Amino acid sequence: MNQTNDKTAFLNAGKTLLRKEDRRLLTGHGRFTDDIHVVGELHACFVRSTYPHAKISALNTAEASAAPGVITIVTAEDLSEWTTTLRLAPPIEGLLPIEMTALPKDKVRFYGDLIACVIATDRYLAEDAAELVIVEYEPLEAVTGMFAAMEEDAPLVDEELGSNMISHQSFETKSIQKIMKAADRIVESTFATARQTHLPIETRGCIAEWDEGSQHLTMHIGNQAPHPFRSVLAGRLKLRESQVTIVVPDVGGGFGQKIALYREELIVAALARHLKRPVRWREDRMENMLASSHAREDFARTRAAVDSNGRIIGLMLELIEDFGAYCFYPANYLARVVAMILTGPYDIGEYAYDVKVVLTNKCGNGPMRAPMAITSWIMDGTIDNIARELELDPVQVRRLNMLADSAYPHTMATGETMEDINPGTALEKGLESIDYKNFRKRQLDDRTRGVYRGIGICSVVESTTYGSKFYKAAGIPGSGHECAWVKVDPSGEVRASAGVMSTGQGYETAFSQAVAEGLGVDPKDVAIKLGNTDVAPYGMGSRGARGATAGGGTVYLAAAAVREKALAIAAKLLGLNSADHLSIQEGRVCWFFDGKIQETELTLSDIARTAYLDPTSLPDGMEPGLEVTKAYDPPPMTYSNSCHFCEVVVEVNSGIVKIERYLVVENCGNVLSTQIVEGQQLGAISMGLSGSMFEHMIYDESGYNQTGLLSEYMMATASELPEIEIISVATPNRRTPIGLKGMAEGGVMGSIGAVSNAVSDALAPFSVVIDSHPISPLSLRQKLRKSH
Amino acid sequence: MSKTAFRLNVNGQDYEVLVEPRKLLSDVIRDDIGLTGTHVGCEHGVCGACTVLIEGKPQRSCLVFAIQARGQSIRTIEDVADENGDYSTLQQMLHEEHGLQCGFCTPGIVLTMEAFLKSNPDPSEEEIREALSGNLCRCTGYQNIVKAVQKTILRGHEEDKEIASL
Repeated sequence: MNQTNDKTAFLNAGKTLLRKEDRRLLTGHGRFTDDIHVVGELHACFVRSTYPHAKISALNTAEASAAPGVITIVTAEDLSEWTTTLRLAPPIEGLLPIEMTALPKDKVRFYGDLIACVIATDRYLAEDAAELVIVEYEPLEAVTGMFAAMEEDAPLVDEELGSNMISHQSFETKSIQKIMKAADRIVESTFATARQTHLPIETRGCIAEWDEGSQHLTMHIGNQAPHPFRSVLAGRLKLRESQVTIVVPDVGGGFGQKIALYREELIVAALARHLKRPVRWREDRMENMLASSHAREDFARTRAAVDSNGRIIGLMLELIEDFGAYCFYPANYLARVVAMILTGPYDIGEYAYDVKVVLTNKCGNGPMRAPMAITSWIMDGTIDNIARELELDPVQVRRLNMLADSAYPHTMATGETMEDINPGTALEKGLESIDYKNFRKRQLDDRTRGVYRGIGICSVVESTTYGSKFYKAAGIPGSGHECAWVKVDPSGEVRASAGVMSTGQGYETAFSQAVAEGLGVDPKDVAIKLGNTDVAPYGMGSRGARGATAGGGTVYLAAAAVREKALAIAAKLLGLNSADHLSIQEGRVCWFFDGKIQETELTLSDIARTAYLDPTSLPDGMEPGLEVTKAYDPPPMTYSNSCHFCEVVVEVNSGIVKIERYLVVENCGNVLSTQIVEGQQLGAISMGLSGSMFEHMIYDESGYNQTGLLSEYMMATASELPEIEIISVATPNRRTPIGLKGMAEGGVMGSIGAVSNAVSDALAPFSVVIDSHPISPLSLRQKLRKSH
Repeated sequence: MSKTAFRLNVNGQDYEVLVEPRKLLSDVIRDDIGLTGTHVGCEHGVCGACTVLIEGKPQRSCLVFAIQARGQSIRTIEDVADENGDYSTLQQMLHEEHGLQCGFCTPGIVLTMEAFLKSNPDPSEEEIREALSGNLCRCTGYQNIVKAVQKTILRGHEEDKEIASL
């Protein structure tokens, strides 16, 4: 970028604009998928497996087919005629290729797996009929744990693979083995996150409309990445991409669950086409919990070679992820990032990782807000363990190992380059704000009164945006570019679109600010049109904290290009030789001279009118119209950083953890919309706290999911979550438009680590170390009992 | 199952509906009456998104058969802003404090909190959080919702003072 990215240079970015989305959402006039009705629509209901792992020996749909309202019941055989098999076989070393049909043909792989689909005239009737489908099973032994899955005689989740280990990748620096062997002291730590699910409050659902006349499929669906979704859907239906339109209405949260084309959606679309009638489906909550998409369930072990001062001279990571039964993403996709960015803000030149991903008889995994969530807990938890073993202050060990802010750009041992971050500043600022100096005394005083207080610190270097070069380097298929258009209509109205799709992040507001910044108009006068693949340009969608930099950044660049054209027209209309001294402010052309701004009589509307309706008045050779489509491929990664501080009191008799203070110091660069960014940070931290303290998808040993209800899968309510203080120490990214970075996932990473480390600190007198989640009262009591 | 005709009073208006007696109030409000602001998040009474006011009290419309609400007055999110579309104070504060993101849980939260503030006009933060704990929000972490409720109360006090000084 040419500009300095100095925050003060921006008029619209970095301000708070009250959200444009709010009016419809606050008054009950939002339009979510399930609010849309189509004349003649039919309802889909899925028959699901009641076994964790079984052969389907017989399927009898006779009675169900005769039930009231039933139009048809389809099975794997029907679907294989109408859909292709998904083959996921990217050329990634150590990753096995997989294939997946629309419905499983001969065996089910998890409790809740799909078997058949009932189509009826009414949702209630479809559900009635689904209960009448008789499935005969031949039960198979289920494999329900990652370690059991790796045993030689383990039952196979996918026989085609010949192994449950779907991905195995490793890396080491030249001297790491030698250093580990020669080390005086090796500190070993383990970390285990529980299996979780995304839990958007709006479950998944869709409506598929087949237009027989134009041979066209329109799919209404809450989805984060409409264009890639369309590509996959068209391919699997054997349609041309131009025969499919995806329309995304308001979406009630995604968090990564609404990216992939799942089997249910494919089946609904195939049936709409086959029946030539609209078909709708809304997942119920139990289906969402049991069978949509799960996440996390990582086990990590670090071995850190340290000197007597606590300096890390070498680090080895072993990471295993339980990916469940099906892969809608390459299985290495999530865990690999953890391994690549683990060392983050610390100066660790010698490093090795070994990452295994295994299949089990559970619901398949997908990326959930911060797929690399465990990273910062592993790293700062390791630091805390070093401090504990060497009887050092954990802050001292952090300071000793942390790179100086002046050391950036810094390339990690894995080759990842971090720049424009300030972890040292964030740590020190937070220590001061939380009064760490006096904390230890308070802690000791409290202990004498039987009050167990602890503080947890977690430094986060958050990988955000993910440009194409990162994908290429990491061996992950996909692009990281984004596309946007900005149009000024003949009336002077400004519209913009991009390929990303909001699931609650307020893009209509933030992107208005990006357009306003680039073009020179009032953000209130900009209309943002997202989610319809016939309107929006092909982009890669919302994931990996790329909304601001890839989405907003591209919108900004397109707007700036429109401004350039508008000013060239303005110069001609004003009789000037060049547009050098012209700019647009709040829709009016201004003239800069001698440090003074002077408004001209010309407005953007005048320019637009000329561009469309009087093209002979345009500069020579200029094409009529006032619109620009722009693609932008961001840097391989834009790194943000933060430091999280969590102060807890643990009631040792009950195991209840009370968060007394939560503070985060954030550097997520320049931002588009201040209030929205803070909202994202609050949401991410809350998701991390809820996840590490309460959430757990529990499978019993036979593979039955015990957490199909919201009353069984605990998500934090307003009573459990703390007030979160945010301090900004932002520095802009030097390469991106406006100096933007991403930020919506780091809160999860930091809070997981901060709360875990805080509880360990509080329970130091009992030698209890938090090495697994959730940190529930029950689990804490168990740990405390063992410690006595 | 045969259908039964009955009358429901929603937002002060009578609606004739013809539905199976097993049909949930949430489904009837959304699909038969066409007021889609009432959202269905779990259908087992935990998430609170489908909360409506029945006789002024917050109720999960997914746990009530529509026929059970016969003869009672039901209020939904569409009736909270006034006829000009002007926000209630709580809605205004939720807007100003960024108390919603995806907005799917918002209607349930607005109705729950409107009723709560009527019965408890001066609650502590802990009481607000307790009252809010029956509504799940995955986006916000609740902080800005709590802030919005507190500001609504503050605004109420200011208005009381203004009235007193007249």
